[in-house]
Amino acid sequence: MTRHRQRFREAAVLAACAVVLGFSSTAIRSKGVFGPNASVGPTAQGVRPDSPTMIQLPEAIHLFESGEALFVDARHAFDFARGHIRGAVNLPLNEFDSRTGLLDSLPRNRVLITYCDGVECNSSIGLASRLRDAGYSGVRIFFAGWSEWQAKNLPMETNTP
Amino acid sequence: MKAFFSNEYNVLTARIFLGTLLVVASADKIADPAAFARSIEDYQLISGTAAMVAATIIPWMEMLCGLALIAGVVVQASALLTGALLLAFTIAVISALVRGLDISCGCFTQDPAVSRIGWLKIGENVILIAVTAFLYSAQNTRFSLEHYIGSRQSGS
Repeated sequence: MTRHRQRFREAAVLAACAVVLGFSSTAIRSKGVFGPNASVGPTAQGVRPDSPTMIQLPEAIHLFESGEALFVDARHAFDFARGHIRGAVNLPLNEFDSRTGLLDSLPRNRVLITYCDGVECNSSIGLASRLRDAGYSGVRIFFAGWSEWQAKNLPMETNTP
Repeated sequence: MKAFFSNEYNVLTARIFLGTLLVVASADKIADPAAFARSIEDYQLISGTAAMVAATIIPWMEMLCGLALIAGVVVQASALLTGALLLAFTIAVISALVRGLDISCGCFTQDPAVSRIGWLKIGENVILIAVTAFLYSAQNTRFSLEHYIGSRQSGS
């Protein structure tokens, strides 16, 4: 038992050394915590500053009505078929790499607004980041998503095969 | 079975393998802690200053454990700490996969285009955790700095 305790103590000392080395090396090199952009991010929902911006329902409605935006639904195809924001296209996050045809067909002159179920899901954020990385600028995230759109009884449609 | 655990060459191989892996893994992260902090944030478990602090400390833990394993000093404590880190990484990867996050691992490189997380990563980590458990329970200290120092002291 004492042998284990001894090992734990040694491991704690190792960890403490790592803390000292980590902070001193970053301080000397002015990196990380001591770097010029020390704050990597705001932090609601763990979003980085260079992440696409989040919009609230009023702005989403405005962009929907003005026709400036194309809504991109990050949910599974099954959920999309049951109901989605009118005019939205479906691009599930986990199919991003395989749906290159759809990706190429997305307009570059319109604002893309990603959404998923609502505050319980993060795929809208992931999809927006992937779209940004694929070269689309001005991507927005409608984080309140489908649940809020549906609750307000805004224009919807279902897929009729 | 006992012979396997006390075989000096098995212990040496495991030490060099895990030690090298850790040193290689830590290099990129030590060089650019901010990039590693962004990789951590992608997991959406911690963010901001907490991610940056983790990105400052974790790579050095890997580096120290790696060097200690290769040199053969405080091998069991290093194996213990490495095991704890790997366990934490594995839980993070599982939680990200469960939440459907398609993110890069941030394990060996901070290039987002390389090595996205998947269930294979969990398998890799389980194997590595098994190696740390083996090193923690192994008693053999031959080919280690500790053994060398110990034998010199007892010889004099």
